Order: sequence, then structure tokens, then C-alpha cells
Amino acid sequence: MSGEKEIYLGYTTDKAVTPFFKQFLEALEKQQLMKSTCKKCKSEYLPPRQYCQKCLTECELTEFTERDAKLVSFTVVEFAPESLASRQPYVVAIGEFPSGRRLTAHITNLMDMPKVGMKLKLSFERVSDKQVTYKWQV
Amino acid sequence: MTRRVAVVAGGHSKFGKRYDATMRELCAEAYKPVYDAGITQDRIDATVLSYAASQFTGQGAGSALMADSIGLQEKPHLRVESACATGTASIRAAYGMVASGLYDVMLVLGVEQMNRVSSATATEYMSRAGDMRWEYPYGISFPAFYALMASRYMAEYNLPHDVLSMISVKSHHYGAQNPKAHLPKEVSFEEANNAVPICRPLNLYDCSLITDGAAAVVLVAEPRVKEFTDQPMWIKGMGAGASEMMIQDRPSLTSIPGAKRAAKAAYKMAGLQPKDINMAEVHDCFSIAELIAYEDLGFAEPGKGRQLIENKEVYHTGRIPVNCDGGLKSKGHPLGATGVSMTYEVLSQMRKKAEKPTRQIKDVKYGLVHNVGQSGQFVNVIIYERGW
Ligand SMILES: [Zn+2]
Repeated sequence: MSGEKEIYLGYTTDKAVTPFFKQFLEALEKQQLMKSTCKKCKSEYLPPRQYCQKCLTECELTEFTERDAKLVSFTVVEFAPESLASRQPYVVAIGEFPSGRRLTAHITNLMDMPKVGMKLKLSFERVSDKQVTYKWQV
Repeated sequence: MTRRVAVVAGGHSKFGKRYDATMRELCAEAYKPVYDAGITQDRIDATVLSYAASQFTGQGAGSALMADSIGLQEKPHLRVESACATGTASIRAAYGMVASGLYDVMLVLGVEQMNRVSSATATEYMSRAGDMRWEYPYGISFPAFYALMASRYMAEYNLPHDVLSMISVKSHHYGAQNPKAHLPKEVSFEEANNAVPICRPLNLYDCSLITDGAAAVVLVAEPRVKEFTDQPMWIKGMGAGASEMMIQDRPSLTSIPGAKRAAKAAYKMAGLQPKDINMAEVHDCFSIAELIAYEDLGFAEPGKGRQLIENKEVYHTGRIPVNCDGGLKSKGHPLGATGVSMTYEVLSQMRKKAEKPTRQIKDVKYGLVHNVGQSGQFVNVIIYERGW
């Protein structure tokens, strides 16, 4: 893919960026979070999948607009994998939207211990030239 | 499947940071006691070789190296992989081949050498067992997955961290009595409860070890068992279960759905219930995992697992002794060897061969092994029956 702009999700640079995933990342750069919907059975996925898990039909990306969520669980990572060592400590959180859909991301503006059930709001951040992410804010 | 299958022998290397050995030497160490018991290479039809990850050593085609290291290079062999449940997945694969009549005598040999890389690198490799697209970019290490379960469990059931530390204290109490253990030392409750955090709410003493080691068992079909031993341990029940790849997709984080499915299938095949089990080897990769295992295996109601540790019912003289070899926490967790080591321990307990009476369980008729891969994507539960 030489000549094309590199773009990755989150805080690592895993090279497995397919055209479908790239579309997701380019929307994320515009602060849009995309889910995917199966063209046949209408199953919805967040985070999105290219192929429906149930009927293996191709899915299309559509915007996911919920922003408010509740904290399902968390961990404060004090000893990180090598690839994220420079960011430690960081808070990983699973948040649940009112629709029941969930997303796993960092909470980036929290200084105290998180509490299960606390309110979260989804936000976006350009991490570097090549990295973009969604994140939780309290 | 028409033939019953028994475990007839086992071997076990010293677990630890084994800078004095490679996979070759670890395999030889684990097979040696089996060889010494008269199960020489010519009596083995085929081998299942069990190791979880080649990244740690960089050795490709590791199963060929393993077979070669113990003189089985001309016999059929294959590798099985299911992350941390690799050992029991290998036993499961061998069981199928022996029960079906393909082979009569199979060796299952598990090994992992993890300390050729730093702890941070090992943590990196293990974090790649999360979903590479959606979880890995957020640095969700192996302890982080279990910490996500722990924080939820602690909130839902109002569980203080103290209970998790009680489990760690038990693990080290028994590991201290196991000469094969990686970290054979007692720890105090205060030491365990105040240890440095790794992934809050889990601290250092909530986490299993990064271990080098190997273990071996031999499976034989019923018609030929008498040629090998008069103390066979029958595979009475075997269940496997699986769970969603991404932890956020699981409806509950306070139990492992694949473990419940595996346990249900194993009890059904064995025709037994949780109350019939005399000892269990459970997958305590983290203290919270042991607590959840009590419940997933039906030894306690959901949310009530803490009573088993608080009342010492999981000690060797209690109602349901659990991990009286030190478990993954103190004995160690060389991924591909772990499930094989658990099986070795049940055999040793049934044969009353625990090295010290202070960890010998009194009378084991039925022993259960619970082996979980990654954060629950693969789970095997095996119930063994004393055959004498
Ligand atoms: Zn579909």
C-alpha cells in the first residue's frame, strides 16, 4: 500500500488494515463512530464486522450515534504490554450504551479509581499523525 | 467411541525460570519418569505435543523438536494449541484417537519455555491473544482481561480484595510443599493483600507466574491397560466449552460461559455431580479465576464462592480440596504444560504420591481438572476416576 496514508486504531500500529477497516478509521478521523449492519438479516455489530457472524453476508457501515454509556467493568493497567509501556498507567473500560451495545476503550480523564456503574461519555482523539481513537470521558 | 481410556503414568519437570534448559531438556525431564516406569519409546504408538506459543523461544516446528528430544522422532505426532488450555486440549485430542481405536498407547507431552524473553515482552505476546483489531490496540494484557472480570465481580457481589488474597495465600501454602513448584514459598495475607498492583484491582500476588516447564501423561485403551499398571486413572467425563472472542461481548463477566458449558458436558458424560468430586485442579491463572471456577464448576452458588475459601473448604482436608499442588500461582503456569501438569497431580493424589503428607488429599475417587484458555475462549473440564 505504498504511497497511501497510514492509519491505525488506538495506541498500537498493527498492520492489518483492510479496505473495510480503513473506511471505519477514516470516519473515526471525522469523529464518526461506525457500526455495521448485515445487508441481509440486519444484524448489527459494534465494533463493526465486514461479514455477518450469523449469515456471512457482507455488512455495511452506518453511523452509531449513542454517546452516553455506563461503566460495566474496568482495570487500571500498571504493568503494560511492551507496546503500551510508555502510556502506563492507563484505564481500560468496557462501557455499555442504552441500546445495550458495548465498546472497550481507555478512560483518559480520570484520576481516581473508576466505579462500576459510573457515567461515561464517548469522545474521540487523534493520538498521532497515524493513530486515531475513540475514548471514554467521565 | 467404544473403548474406555485410562491415564497410566505421568512425569513432571521442575517448574521455574529454567535458564539451564531448552524445550529439549524440559521434555526429556518430563518423559524420564515415564520411561523409568517401563513405558519405553517402542511401546508408544503416537504423541500429541502441547505448546501454546512459538514466539517465546522463536523455535518453529516445535513439536518435531519435542518428539526428537525423547526419541519419538519416527512415530506419528502432532501439535495441538488452545492458548492456556492447550494441555487439556491435547489430552482431549489423544483421548479421541485412543477411544476410536486409531492408537492404543499415546503420550501427551506439554511444554512451554517463556523466560527466554523479558516479562514485558511475554506480556506483549500474551496480549496478542486478545482480538488484534479491537482489544490489542488498547493494551489489554492477560491480567487486564481478568481484572475486567474482577472489578465487575467485586462490584456485583460486594467482594473485598481480601478474599482474593486468601486464595493466593492458599496457593503458596501448598506450593511451598511441592518440590516441583516455581515459587515454593509461603506468603502472609498482608504480603499478598498489599502487593504492588499489576492491573487494578489485581496485584502481583493475584497473578500466576511466567514459567518454564514440562509435563507428560500416557493414555492407554482399556484392553491394554493391564500391561501398563494396576492403578489406572480412567477418563470418566470430558467436556469442552467456548466463549466469545471479545470479552465485552460476554453477557456476564462474573462467570466464564465456556467453563459452565464444559463442566455441564463433563458431569453429564461422567454421570456425576459437583458433590461427587473429591478434589479439583482449577485454572487459577489469577486469584479471581479460581473464585469464579468454584462457581462455574458448581462447588458454590454464584456469588458464594468466597465461603469455600473463607471456611477453608478448599484446603486439603476440606470438603473440596482445590489446587493442593500450589496451582498456577505458586507451582507456575508454563502454558502448554499446565493442563498436563493438572492431570499429573490428580494421578499423584489418587496414588497417594504427594511428596508431603501435609498436602496429601485423603481419599480421591473422582478428581476434576478445569483448564481455561486465554480469558475463557477455550475451556476443558476432565473428570478422572480411580480405577483400583
Ligand atoms: Zn446476517
